[in-house]
Amino acid sequence: MAETITRRDFLSGKPMGKRTTSVKVDPHWPIPRVAKLYQKLLKQDPPFDHPKFEHVPSPELDVPTRLGRLRTPDWDSINSTHLLKRTLFSPTFTELENAEAGTMAQTINNLLAAQTAPDPPDSWVTEPPPVWDSLTQEEIMEILISYRLRMRTLVKWWGMEMRKDTFSIRENMTLFWHNHFATSAQKVIFPQAMYEQNKILREHCLGDFRELLRRITFGPAMLIWLDSYRSTKNEPNENFGRELLELFTMGVDTYTQTDIIEASRAFTGYLTDGVSTNYSYTLRSGIGNYWNNRHDFESKTFLGQTGTWNGDDIIDIILEQDVVANFICSKIYQWFVYENVDETFVDSMATVFRDSDYNIETTMEYLLTSDHFYDVNFHGAMVRNPMTVLFGTMRQLEMDDVSAEGNYFIRIAEYLGMIPMFPPDVNGWTGYRSWLNSITLPSRKMITTTYLDGYGGLGMIDTTADAVALAQTMTDPNDAEKIVEDFARLFSPFPLSDTLKTQLLDILLDGAAIYDWTISDASAEGRLKNLMRHMMRMPEFQLI
Amino acid sequence: MKRRDFIKSSLVLSAMGSRIPLLAINRTQKQMARTVSWDTDRIVVLIKLNGGNDGMNTIIPVQNSQYYTLRPTIGISQADALTLNYETGLHPSMDALLPYFQNGEMSVIHEAGYDDSNLSHFRSSDIWATGSDADEFWNTGWLGRLFTEIYPDFPNHNEDHPLAIQMGSANLLEFQTTMSNGASMINDPDLMYQLISENYVPGSNDPPPATLGGQELTYVRELDASSFEYSEIIFNSANAGSNSVTYPDTNLGAQLAVTAKLISGGLDTPIYRLYLGGFDTHANQLSDQGTLLQQVSDAVAAFLSDLESQGLSNRVMTLTTSEFGRRSYENGTGGTDHGTSAPIMAFGPQINSNQLFHGTHPDLSAIDNNGNPPIQFDFRQMYSTLLTDWFGLEETVSSSIFQQSFNTIPFIANPLTITGNGAIPKSFTLHPAFPNPFNPATEISFDLPKASSAILRVHDVRGRSIYSNRLGKLPAGTHRFRLLGNDWASGVYYVRVEAAGSSQTTKITLLK
Repeated sequence: MAETITRRDFLSGKPMGKRTTSVKVDPHWPIPRVAKLYQKLLKQDPPFDHPKFEHVPSPELDVPTRLGRLRTPDWDSINSTHLLKRTLFSPTFTELENAEAGTMAQTINNLLAAQTAPDPPDSWVTEPPPVWDSLTQEEIMEILISYRLRMRTLVKWWGMEMRKDTFSIRENMTLFWHNHFATSAQKVIFPQAMYEQNKILREHCLGDFRELLRRITFGPAMLIWLDSYRSTKNEPNENFGRELLELFTMGVDTYTQTDIIEASRAFTGYLTDGVSTNYSYTLRSGIGNYWNNRHDFESKTFLGQTGTWNGDDIIDIILEQDVVANFICSKIYQWFVYENVDETFVDSMATVFRDSDYNIETTMEYLLTSDHFYDVNFHGAMVRNPMTVLFGTMRQLEMDDVSAEGNYFIRIAEYLGMIPMFPPDVNGWTGYRSWLNSITLPSRKMITTTYLDGYGGLGMIDTTADAVALAQTMTDPNDAEKIVEDFARLFSPFPLSDTLKTQLLDILLDGAAIYDWTISDASAEGRLKNLMRHMMRMPEFQLI
Repeated sequence: MKRRDFIKSSLVLSAMGSRIPLLAINRTQKQMARTVSWDTDRIVVLIKLNGGNDGMNTIIPVQNSQYYTLRPTIGISQADALTLNYETGLHPSMDALLPYFQNGEMSVIHEAGYDDSNLSHFRSSDIWATGSDADEFWNTGWLGRLFTEIYPDFPNHNEDHPLAIQMGSANLLEFQTTMSNGASMINDPDLMYQLISENYVPGSNDPPPATLGGQELTYVRELDASSFEYSEIIFNSANAGSNSVTYPDTNLGAQLAVTAKLISGGLDTPIYRLYLGGFDTHANQLSDQGTLLQQVSDAVAAFLSDLESQGLSNRVMTLTTSEFGRRSYENGTGGTDHGTSAPIMAFGPQINSNQLFHGTHPDLSAIDNNGNPPIQFDFRQMYSTLLTDWFGLEETVSSSIFQQSFNTIPFIANPLTITGNGAIPKSFTLHPAFPNPFNPATEISFDLPKASSAILRVHDVRGRSIYSNRLGKLPAGTHRFRLLGNDWASGVYYVRVEAAGSSQTTKITLLK
């Protein structure tokens, strides 16, 4: 009989059932002995295996295209709130007030402004790879176990960056690119490589797309993830070539199978030991004996152009194609606006992207200042992603780190269907309606309840939100009606109706008269939490 | 014509002791109400081998020397393969299924796929889920459209039991209609029930705004409410059901164990969608695919044996599918790259044991430039066969779902054909709602003497419109609709049905 987990185990946070791995690791890399031990380790401690949520389409887009900028008088409470909910992981009430009081231009400037790089989680991020041949089985196993723990540390570290107070689009943009270049730690093995990729994504998330694409392509993580490191002139591997065209730059059906094969021949001879590579960014080429012996130096014909192309040449030829800007802008649009794109608007955005020589910040500014972005149709038309639920809610509730046992956040992220650094496949996560099903929706409610009460299923935490302190950041903590309105602004993307306001006031007041409400009352904390718990369980909370 | 009569069906269900009699009666009446006959007594379990299972190393052409030429290191020798017949071997790790083949309860549909195959996993999975041609982009699933055909008011008409259950993954596109999603996803029925019931709060009464955001709100509200309703039914079925064998402790084993429990517990759900990933064997295929096929074989064998000993096996058809197959020749890393077609395997005592192979081994003398043999069956032929021969739906249903007709494949032993739909009512009559008062749902039923379009409206006591649903053109017969009052305040409402050139009204009371 297959094991099913008991309720008690589940609520105390034990993982569900037995998982089997679908991860494929190269049986020979970095050396066969290590690969074998890694496979053994995966069997003992199965990797994350959250289900792939495939596409549940959103309704057709039926919104008139507007290509103008948002007019100044339209920068109001509703539109400024919409901007912040779509760019930050979840805005705090103070941020909403500041944005409304400021101008749109200033707010967007602040969101896009450069930020100092976060401190790395530890010094091991640049640690050279072990000299595997000199190590015993036990020593190798110990290193592999520490590598897996470091990957978990990385995930938590990034989550805490998402939670931080910085008023910036940066972490959301970094997550966007991670979803775009979806690479899984499961196969990459080296935490140094995953950290390096994450750092590149963050550094270039608003910069030059060409540079970002090169850095990602030739970074150790991608070389491992899509098998470029073992693609040689005698045995070219199509994996990277296909995904580069289909998922990273041009989109499906815009090239031929021959283009994939020719591109794959150009991406031969690259090598990594998990930390460094044989690629030189300055020479735009591989270097050394391995490169000289394994790269295919013969002529290739790719997208109609013939030459002795290497990987950089292929990237340059791809970026000459008009379709790239449209493809990337569609992906940006889907991440920030709506699942079904407005082709006319995306065309205009793609023109900006191309004219700026693939400058991402310029393109983002065009998007965020556009009238179209603020169309009332889009308010609430996006389902919060799991990171927004997990870390954004902490941010919104102004909670610091919570001390919970080691893998708390990773396990919750698994239930919600999104563990950063562990995407289900190279296509990334699906998003929108696909996030929600009869398991993930109630799991989301359990998390928000846990943030208020310390428990609520899925394990315990020992620090909870301070509801009174939160109310004190709001318009008037002694006005019950204002409190309900302000929380509705945080937790619902829709205008608050009188009926719902009355219903919510009843929950907050719990029988008391409205003029009896005062924040200094001993019962205020509990009553505020009753209100918040209820609001975060309502369907409206899932939408931004 | 081989149709169970309604009385017998009710007796069987009551005799199992797992369901309250009302449900059994309900089911009978619903069956009469259905616009297209549909025997939910029969069940399909579809297992998707995700990533593209390699067909030639599953069903092996052991007499074909080209096979061994194309696959010098990963070809499976005749000596290693299990023998299905002179020219056909089965992957050596699938020994648990061999007796089922020998017993005529397993059949193979060779080289199923679609024309102009797309080698992208994502696109190809979408094509299988929607049932479109390769050059069409549809955003509704074939199952979603099936439910729309059978229940024209789907998804507003929440059946008592989910129409489909999904485990192991969430390829919900397959169940997608233009309005909503028909599938209920579970991992563990007990857990699901606890999770959902404790966290459910009644939503607000506010009508959703007339925006895209409003449509998303409606979607989340429906998901929230239907998860809540279904979770209890699924929970009860799982607790009433049992497993008579020990399942292997694997991912697919767990999924099939729960499926058998739900069937045994009397859940009236016709379609189960299970999922096992990892078949994208670009490298190291011999060991990876072997492990996976072993998992499939052991779990399916346990499932078939469980159903058999519980007397349920004649009701269930189990099939494996894959979004595409793999290249005929091996690559340089001990694997195979994306291909086009792959065999479908079907299991159960209702297999046509007179013909266990449909089509032939891939024609390796006719491979195309990319190294793929021609397809022999369109995957929609298999779906059409399930609809007409297994569920007994009229051929027009499948041709309307796929926008074209497909020949069936004779892999089912006793094809169902159904005619007749109960007596035609004499006049247009709106029956009193039941239950009434209600919370949160009540059933509205009415008789139509002839085909007519119908609209169902709900007004409050002040005459304000609360809800309206254009039901479209309905055939003659008795029709039943479930009204959900979750979003309404307690009070008296009037239900009006406009059909057959007149309208009738009945009063309902929501008591929260």
